[in-house]
Amino acid sequence: MIGVALAILLVLLAVAVPVAGAMGMLALALNTLYSKLPLSLAMGEMAWATSNNFLLVAIPFFVMLGEILLRSGMAERMYNALVKWMPWLPGGLMHSNIAACAMFAATSGSSVATAATIGTVALGEVKKHQYSERLFLGTLAAGGTLGILIPPSINMIVYGVLTDTSIPKLYLAGVIPGLVLAGLFMLTVLIACLINPGLGGRRVTASWDERIKSLPDLLPPLIIFLAVIGSIYAGLATATESAALGVVAALAICAWRRRLTVAVLRQVFEGTMRTTAMVMAILVAAYFLNFVITSIGLTSQVNRAITRLGLSPYELLFAVIVFYVVLGMFMETLSMMVATIPIVAPVVFAAGFDPVWYGVIMVLLIETAMITPPVGINLFVVQGVRGHGKIEDVIIGSAPFVVTLLLMILILIAFPEIAMWLPKLAAG
Amino acid sequence: MGPLFALAQTASRFGLWLGGALILLSALVIGVDVVLRKALALSVGGADELGGYALAIGTAWGLSAALLDRNHIRIDSLYLLFPDWLRAALDILGLLAFSAVFGLIGWHAIGVVDQSLTAGSRSMSALQTPLALPQGIWLAGLGLFLAVAALLLVRALTMLGRRDVVGIVRLIGVRTAKEEATDEVRSAEAVHMRIGGEERRS
Repeated sequence: MIGVALAILLVLLAVAVPVAGAMGMLALALNTLYSKLPLSLAMGEMAWATSNNFLLVAIPFFVMLGEILLRSGMAERMYNALVKWMPWLPGGLMHSNIAACAMFAATSGSSVATAATIGTVALGEVKKHQYSERLFLGTLAAGGTLGILIPPSINMIVYGVLTDTSIPKLYLAGVIPGLVLAGLFMLTVLIACLINPGLGGRRVTASWDERIKSLPDLLPPLIIFLAVIGSIYAGLATATESAALGVVAALAICAWRRRLTVAVLRQVFEGTMRTTAMVMAILVAAYFLNFVITSIGLTSQVNRAITRLGLSPYELLFAVIVFYVVLGMFMETLSMMVATIPIVAPVVFAAGFDPVWYGVIMVLLIETAMITPPVGINLFVVQGVRGHGKIEDVIIGSAPFVVTLLLMILILIAFPEIAMWLPKLAAG
Repeated sequence: MGPLFALAQTASRFGLWLGGALILLSALVIGVDVVLRKALALSVGGADELGGYALAIGTAWGLSAALLDRNHIRIDSLYLLFPDWLRAALDILGLLAFSAVFGLIGWHAIGVVDQSLTAGSRSMSALQTPLALPQGIWLAGLGLFLAVAALLLVRALTMLGRRDVVGIVRLIGVRTAKEEATDEVRSAEAVHMRIGGEERRS
């Protein structure tokens, strides 16, 4: 049964059937092959239940929040302010890139949006200050991945819904690892620049007066972060409600900057709903597929097969990590999540690992997938912003950060408290 | 065929606006609800429920635009290695599979709406929404999707008849991850340049 399911899925995906269609087809095929009950009768009811799941409403809210912020000019101002504050380290602006990504990540639930936004703002600076282009590109591709680790995070919502894990807890668990990872990224830049001082460009200087004046530009991201994450932490709002507050705050900032027009709203609507429909199509199909594979006992069969291997919990965990690192090189990340989590996560939980902690590990693996060739969406985004030269430059520039990400995963395995401390504190 | 296709595009665009407006509206209602709840211990009531309907309706009404703009994710690692005629065949197969799954969902969705109608089901909330209403709008969105999918299929098959494989790939082919990235970048850049210009003027 396992082999047949895997074979059907791989063939459908390999011949480029849209992921949502492939999952639906696999579900129908498995139903015909292994179940006497016509499970497809439940398709209408399940599609409706999935499409109006209140937890998932957070997804269009975060997409919309990003679309509005993109058009509010917040990122430009924030970046320029950070440039004034962080020029003194060896590696100069590359640290500002990572800091700007981390700060933008605190308002954005998407890594692609983070890399595209900060990349567009930052890339003009490469030539101006004679940086090594490769490492500079790497800081943008890798820094961008922080978008889904530092809350809010669309990927954490999807993980939370697929595994029945508390989204507020996942958010809190992402905060410290996000900051630690941003710190490690900066450390990576620092080490690279100490080894080869030629990598860092000319330093930018700013007076204290300029620095103080730039501070108000850091306020809008802070407001969004407080609206979205502060409201959850203060017990004011659920995960979805906090996302709604984020949309309201973003709208207010956009209006205050006098950029809120009908044309902008129309663009926001179109961008938001295209992405939403695409993501939801996959989730609706994935829900039905999960229902079928649970009904025909495939999940428990996978569980038994893995138990028979007699792996220790940590051997299992490392096998899972290797699996995702390899798969992540070739597969688009959302498809990878919905196709594998329903099968793999229960096995990992059964081995005694905490769902919240594993959620953070999963996000780190997805971040790795985003900057590993040949298919790494952030590599493409940064190359797209750059608009000249070869993608190999971005790949080589990102390589040190892949090592950093893997190191971060090991650190989190050795010290799970880095992720678990905040959620435990909040739970009292 | 031309005017029909233009109609499909207009209707799909309308679907995006409808969904976007509903999502924005529900964000505002939920936002007000959270503030009122805390400040005055009042609740609008049913704000969550409206958010759910907005998502369901927005998704269904956005599916056709996502199809026309080739936004639905496909894995292209092998696809890119294939010759045009094979790609065109796979494009038609992919469109068929995708529409078959959502066609089946739409078919069973009729049953869902029908049941809500005959039972007169209402939501278990302060709003007591007659469920057939949001479900009906949702079903109509799925209907639009199927109509657009059918139109695309007919168009692709006509092209196949003319041996216009390049046309098929352009109509329903995979948007590669690279194309996807380029779009993301273009919208970020458009904003960047507009803002840059404004700042130079000011």
